[in-house]
Amino acid sequence: MFKKFFQQGKKEQAVIDKTAAHIELLIAACKGFHEGLIQEDKSRVLQVFHLEREADTIRREIIAAIYEGAFLPYLRPNLCRFAELVDRVFDDIEGAANHYSEMEIPEVLKEDCVRVAFYNIRICEMLLICFHALIEGNELREKTLAVRIYEKKIDDIKFEMKRILWKLPVQGFWEGRILAEFVDGLTAISDIVEDASDYLHIINVSMK
Amino acid sequence: MWKVSSGIFLGWSLGANDSANIFGTGVATGAVKYRTAIWLTAVFVLVGALAEGPKVMTTINELSRIDPVAAFCCTLAAGLTITTLTFLAIPASVSQAIVGTIVGAGLLAGRVDFTLLYKVVVCWLFTPVMGIVLGYLVYRVSASILNRTVKSITRRNLIYSTGILVAGSYGAYSLGANNVANVTGVYVSAGLLLPLEASAIGGISICLGVLTYSKKVMMTVGKGIVPLDPFSAFVVVLAEAVTLHIFTQLGVPVSSSQAVVGAVVGVGLVGGLRTVSGKMLLNITVGWIMTPVAAGLIAVGLLYGTRFI
Repeated sequence: MFKKFFQQGKKEQAVIDKTAAHIELLIAACKGFHEGLIQEDKSRVLQVFHLEREADTIRREIIAAIYEGAFLPYLRPNLCRFAELVDRVFDDIEGAANHYSEMEIPEVLKEDCVRVAFYNIRICEMLLICFHALIEGNELREKTLAVRIYEKKIDDIKFEMKRILWKLPVQGFWEGRILAEFVDGLTAISDIVEDASDYLHIINVSMK
Repeated sequence: MWKVSSGIFLGWSLGANDSANIFGTGVATGAVKYRTAIWLTAVFVLVGALAEGPKVMTTINELSRIDPVAAFCCTLAAGLTITTLTFLAIPASVSQAIVGTIVGAGLLAGRVDFTLLYKVVVCWLFTPVMGIVLGYLVYRVSASILNRTVKSITRRNLIYSTGILVAGSYGAYSLGANNVANVTGVYVSAGLLLPLEASAIGGISICLGVLTYSKKVMMTVGKGIVPLDPFSAFVVVLAEAVTLHIFTQLGVPVSSSQAVVGAVVGVGLVGGLRTVSGKMLLNITVGWIMTPVAAGLIAVGLLYGTRFI
């Protein structure tokens, strides 16, 4: 009956540790992607696939731990949704890595792609900071604002890239499509991270 | 002893209905398991009934001296009233029903303490008001303390989940202490039972209602108040428990439903929310008037009927 009290929140701590590890893995994936782009090393970028598989396992463990009774039922849907959003970021990075392995980035877009990949690292690091702030009960407002600022920066670059992309001559349908999907995947990461940070804000508000 | 049977029936229906006010939100939101909720409620209702039940019995006894047959008719009339009003979806209070029947029977016998009745009615009016005030104050004070001292989300989670259990247990204790007199108090007045016997029989009959037939109402009430977050749910139950306990010390039986509605409104006021509708207020007012009047009339009818047997 009072199992939860005597366990002193061990289940909850396990969920927190796994979620932090999930986000740290995401940062590692973004860093690998960024370095791969700079060095134009496709094998480095493709390491994202291994990290995505590892992240999938962590997500399953998080959701299983939540459904085994960690946290109040009131919080569980938002915590699960957060883990799923982080996983969606992995899916997008994996998609972008896959597209990258099948194409060469046009010279005119290279710099913007590296800038977006760099901001992706920063926004994911900010998400981890937000998550730790939530756990420690610190103020989240400024941290989620930082996430939104990064998202805005990436959005601005995305629109610039799109304008260039539309005018770019391509040799065939698939070349154009793969390039467009690569850009979409790379720039969509920040939108999902922003949604994830919103969920952290919701969890924070609902516990006050 | 057959005359006590209607009291046991009334206790059973009180347990089945009012336990929802204690753990309804906790069970419906999954914070507390139904089995845990009913066992905690049953144990603490009995403890409350035995420890402090006799305090309210004094008021029931002094309201009017009635004979054993009248006592049977009073509890039966209260039970019938509650069942009918519940069927008509009008919020009904066992406290108001039983006081209505005692006054009805007392008027027939020409023995009613109107000064005491006045005190009881004033307390009824103050029940939701106290619920509002306590709901508001408990929310403000505990939120301020928690925001300053407990920042970690895991600790908060632990505090909320155990807080709901502790506040619910206290709520069950207060329910038993305040409402057991409604169930078997009249039998003490009629000389059928001693206060401790009445507390034990009343407490056990309420426990039976909690353990056997409370799930449906608990889910209905709980899901109706589901928008409450865990902290608000904890505050509502705590404010309700304190309200009931205060009126127990004053020796007046009051409605746990009205206390809980008051506490919900009080918590809503903190966020400037509109948590009570005009329709709800109308329903409560209709219940306030209808319950004692209808119960009193039924008791008078039953007592007239017994004269022809």
